[in-house]
Amino acid sequence: MSDKGKVKLSRRDFLRTLGLGVGAAAVGIAAKPLGGTTLAANPNFEARHFSDPAGRPNRPWWVKTVDQPTIEIDWAKMKRYNEGYKADLGTGTVRGGGFEAYVGKEKSDELNAISATTLKDGILNNVPGYTLKDQALKGAQDAGRVGMSFVGPQKAKTPEEKGVPKWTGSPEEGSRILRAAFRHMGAATVGFVELNENTKKLIYSFDPDGKELIFTNDLEPSETETQRLIPNTAKSVLVYTIQMSEETLKRAPTPLGQQTTGLAYKRHTVVQAAMQEFLRGMGYMGMGSASINALGIAPAFGVLAGLGEMSRLNRMITPEFGPMVRCFIILTDMPVAFDKPIDAGVMEFCKRCKKCAEACATGALSFDDEPSWETRGPWNNPGHKAYFEDSTKCMTYWREVGTNCGICFSVCPFAKKDKAWIHEWVKATASTAPVMDGFMRSMDDAFGYGAQKDCEEWWQLDLPEYGTDSSGMIW
Amino acid sequence: MNDKYVIEIKKRSWKEWLLWAIWLFAEVSLFQMAIASGAELEPRAATIFWVTFFALLIAGVIVWFMRRDK
Repeated sequence: MSDKGKVKLSRRDFLRTLGLGVGAAAVGIAAKPLGGTTLAANPNFEARHFSDPAGRPNRPWWVKTVDQPTIEIDWAKMKRYNEGYKADLGTGTVRGGGFEAYVGKEKSDELNAISATTLKDGILNNVPGYTLKDQALKGAQDAGRVGMSFVGPQKAKTPEEKGVPKWTGSPEEGSRILRAAFRHMGAATVGFVELNENTKKLIYSFDPDGKELIFTNDLEPSETETQRLIPNTAKSVLVYTIQMSEETLKRAPTPLGQQTTGLAYKRHTVVQAAMQEFLRGMGYMGMGSASINALGIAPAFGVLAGLGEMSRLNRMITPEFGPMVRCFIILTDMPVAFDKPIDAGVMEFCKRCKKCAEACATGALSFDDEPSWETRGPWNNPGHKAYFEDSTKCMTYWREVGTNCGICFSVCPFAKKDKAWIHEWVKATASTAPVMDGFMRSMDDAFGYGAQKDCEEWWQLDLPEYGTDSSGMIW
Repeated sequence: MNDKYVIEIKKRSWKEWLLWAIWLFAEVSLFQMAIASGAELEPRAATIFWVTFFALLIAGVIVWFMRRDK
């Protein structure tokens, strides 16, 4: 029989090819742990059990647990912050009606008129990101929120109503159960902080609606026309994050980009109400935000719970999702095991990076090399060393463009998807070798990360649910 | 006849094998990052990774070709 036309493969070539194939596969498999897929960042990748008694996630090796957060705090100087915007409450938040208190009614009215014109012209002129469909999507997020309340819907039957004792167990068990429930409801990451005399200062003195938040010796939380009463028996702060779509926020500042923030807030309302009812069903209280940005400084609790680090944005950046999360809290008397802060090299990276400050259209973010104790205005809460921002500049720009901004979030080098190995390697390098931070920042620019994207293209994308895909790295 | 043949076998040094292993690791990594960057909708990053991947691949082939009889 003739061998003509057949491809001959010698034993040597065969073994060589086989060796290369096996080698490549081995390298690929071996390299994956270097990237370190995390339970937190990779919740749906495969079913597995909590390895920690309190359900703490297996984070990458470069996320170090520390006793003190990477932001310095002077609890003696810290005071409870006024998030209310009623004029008689004095200066406080720059959000909502508080903006007018800082810039004056005339300027505020002028900016609001500009905002309305920008949005209307955007529809009439089909400006990408401002078209009718973009603004309809934004409107759907804002209008679709579940009703929020301080004490929750109060509809689930309590153990008492069922004639059974309430749940009891160790703090570790409590944490694990709550983590499982939170994750199931839609939270990305979960942590727990003790509510003590120091951390009580992170609970607002006044909510955005002007109601005073008061700690009492009452046994149950309650609410009046002017007050919300928090029992001193509530010793646990449950902190959780909801992911935002990085792909969508790269269309900021437009209504299209903004609506991913609205979607995170909307999902939070669902998670909060559900968890308040879960706690009630377990026999415990669950006090949540009565409105958006209420109850307390959630990112500060997030930092103390080790969900992330404070940053140049003056917002929390997580190792898993960068700044692409919104952070929320619920207060409870259910016993939980408390978590510690982390050091993943984020704050150190921020000192050298400054990409967000450069991208900010109004110069609202700090360019200082080091964080400072000095605030930029009464909208900042003193008592911690931070990169304080000029919030009036930020809020003015929001009105000029007719929408929330978020450019600082989208350009952040930590705002990445989790498919490519390189991101985990860069984050590990940032955590262990700060000397490379400048180079990493330069490479981030060179590779085109953080660049703003085409708004019309977004409507062509077949994105996963909620626009986020944390299923982990390819291979 | 009593002809003698001498077959000389040159064994590659461990250093050379190490370099080839590093080359292979770099290629696998670049390939993963090129594919993943496409999935991440990062076209510029994907392009850079693909170009680097093929450049390193061609360089490897050329080196192998030049050294195959040495």
